[in-house]
Amino acid sequence: MSAPDPGAARATAWVAHLRAGGTTPWAAWTGTTDGPAPRVLPGAQQLELLRRLNEVGPVPGDLTERVLAASAAGRGRPDQELVGSRPPSEFGPPPVDPADLPAEELLRVAALLLAEDLAAADTGAPEDDDLRRLAADAARRVRRRAAWHRPWRTRYRLVGDPWRADVLRRDLVARGRPPGGRGALVLVVADDLATMLADLWTDRCFSTGVAVPAWGAWLDSLAGARRVARGADPAAVAARWAPGVGRDRIRIVLDDRALADLLGVDEVAARPVLPAHAVELARLVSGALGLLVTPEPGRRLMREVLLPRLLEQAARTGGPPLGVPPEHHRWVHRRSLRLRDAVRAGDYPVLGQVEDLVSRPRVLAARAPAPAAVADDRVLALAADLLLGRTGPDGTAQGQAAAQGQAGPGRARREEQA
Amino acid sequence: MSAKVLLHVGTPKTGTSHLQDVLFRNRERLERHGVLYPADRFDAHFLAALDLMALPWGGLQAEAIGRWDALAEQVRRHGGTSIISHEILATASRSQVGRALSSLARDDGTEVHLVLSVRDLVRQIPAEWQENVKHRSTVSYEEFLAQLRDPARSSRIASWFWGVQEIPDILDRWGHDLPPENVHLVTVPAPGGPPDVLWQRFSAAFGLDGLDLDLEAERANPSLGVPETALLRRINKAVNPVLDPPDYRPLVRELLAHQTLSRRTRTPRLALPPDLHEWARDLGQRWSEEVRRRGYDVVGDLADLEPGPPPEHWADPDSPRESQVAGAAVEAIRALLVENARIRSEEQRLAHELHEARAALDRAYLRPAYRVREKLLRGVRRTAVGRGLHRVYRLARGRSSRPA
Repeated sequence: MSAPDPGAARATAWVAHLRAGGTTPWAAWTGTTDGPAPRVLPGAQQLELLRRLNEVGPVPGDLTERVLAASAAGRGRPDQELVGSRPPSEFGPPPVDPADLPAEELLRVAALLLAEDLAAADTGAPEDDDLRRLAADAARRVRRRAAWHRPWRTRYRLVGDPWRADVLRRDLVARGRPPGGRGALVLVVADDLATMLADLWTDRCFSTGVAVPAWGAWLDSLAGARRVARGADPAAVAARWAPGVGRDRIRIVLDDRALADLLGVDEVAARPVLPAHAVELARLVSGALGLLVTPEPGRRLMREVLLPRLLEQAARTGGPPLGVPPEHHRWVHRRSLRLRDAVRAGDYPVLGQVEDLVSRPRVLAARAPAPAAVADDRVLALAADLLLGRTGPDGTAQGQAAAQGQAGPGRARREEQA
Repeated sequence: MSAKVLLHVGTPKTGTSHLQDVLFRNRERLERHGVLYPADRFDAHFLAALDLMALPWGGLQAEAIGRWDALAEQVRRHGGTSIISHEILATASRSQVGRALSSLARDDGTEVHLVLSVRDLVRQIPAEWQENVKHRSTVSYEEFLAQLRDPARSSRIASWFWGVQEIPDILDRWGHDLPPENVHLVTVPAPGGPPDVLWQRFSAAFGLDGLDLDLEAERANPSLGVPETALLRRINKAVNPVLDPPDYRPLVRELLAHQTLSRRTRTPRLALPPDLHEWARDLGQRWSEEVRRRGYDVVGDLADLEPGPPPEHWADPDSPRESQVAGAAVEAIRALLVENARIRSEEQRLAHELHEARAALDRAYLRPAYRVREKLLRGVRRTAVGRGLHRVYRLARGRSSRPA
């Protein structure tokens, strides 16, 4: 290591300041050091993310090092240098003031770190040895026996809106009512088109393996292609099943109460409602998680580990759900009318009111999404909370930061005063 | 034998597919000469690069998990000379470069040599746009060029392009603490020269001279003309929302682009607009001067980075001649119909095989020995003890007893 020039010495001192919990922005930083410069300084994205985390709360030492060593996942800007940290060069990406970086760039780093946490939480499939497998088999048999005790039960198969169907299926399995069986009814889970589109995108965000475009871009591509995906088209799903099982065994499900009555259960699980910024974070994390684990465990980790944490955060902080941007209101409304007409024309039995398939302009307008910049800041704040394990009812750190007994927020201030 | 790694990190469109094909097909021969090319499949180093750089790539990323560490371990175990080659490594960040070099035991004495194959910008820019289009992009050539020229380089297209093409910056990231004599620049000769010059340069840079290698190319990354690229871009617009990446790759990129449209060689070739020649030439000159100043080992001639004159007739891929696009479209339809016919024939063959297998199974069920065994098993499984014994028997045989 060689003695650094003034810019590098200032940057080296700032990195040390951030490592110690400091929150001073780079532009306001005037400190320096006589020590040697490291071989490679972390990029501006990593440093600014660490500074923002320090602002939120005490950052555990191992997380600090992980942030500084991380690279952003996926395509985007490369790790950028701090403006003024070295003599100007005519090559390479231009250096930046990290405060000017968009939240999106910091989120690329944060998402990879959260994905690493999720991958580390993976203890493997619950049936990874013969003993566990036998135990799981026994549990399944007990559940099935519970079903045998009610030979008059309604057998079912859930299709349609994948996010809603997944929740219902898991809930019914937990109640000892697994899907399938001879003569099962095909229940096409549906809702108004805007809700089904949001569900479909949410379902993809909680899966790994294929990159999911941002909500707006995804809607743009649907609008451009003049189609809706199958999961949001109950008429197409019903038409696909009808030749195999017969029209009389299909139900379009638009009413939870009627569904519970049909299946003979007290109630069915409600759809987990996440704020839009939480789903966007899930999209970013699932993209990064897909780089670390294969699709099956990835989907399980997203739904069994991340989803409960996001729901917990959502209960604490709230936030608007996914809304259709105004430029898409017209086609979503028109398309929902066509869906309603297609279901009517197919003459499928409907649980609930077929009119509930229609996305009304007034309802769409009431759910218009927040501007992108605001949404990105919310996503980043949520990512910071999750990274720091802030899940307490008042937003206090109860996770790893607290568990590792790090110094409190006063530490950063003390460092700055020093 | 001291450990030595030859790390070929780019750049794209410089004959890398041919080089990697030769190395892969000759890996056993190379190993007999003490040179390891650690690859169990043709794209092994591509997957390792995706893993190192945390890059998603149309669903392939799931196959890439853990690939870099596995590759590095093979290199460390080998102890002699190893070759790693993939052009997307050019865009690795400094921290990823640090991780890569550490995993190759650079700090434990492994001698690292960096190889970068380079070509003049005037040819690279249209080639990169075409690569974008072959990877589902719908961006126009004009917009692509505008994004490249934006000094902020904040768009994904610009950051990727300069990340894999800006020679001094790539060498900064990969070679900033390597001795200059360990950094080798292989220049791609200007068009029109003898076809094997590039291989000779690669061979010299990798120390393969004198080895008897099979140089017959099986894989390449062929180029498309102006109407073909324009057609592909239109196809992308139509199929992106309905065709998932695992289907896009074999059907559009391989069947249509590589196997069909690339054979139309009489149509106008993609080129840089004449008004941008001077800008690209200046940039290339500055890069050459920087490389010369740093004292790297140049295999070939830096003069190869000087572009030729602008074309007399430049064809704009954003406004192609529609008759040429229609010709390309007919070729594409022909190829898809032929492929469809092949798949139908395969489907019929499989259906016939399935029918025969079912018939054979039915015959087997009718045999007395099978019926006796089945009756015996039913009897055993009537009791809880019998079911337990059967389960133990199946576990002992190693067959899953998990219900489907």
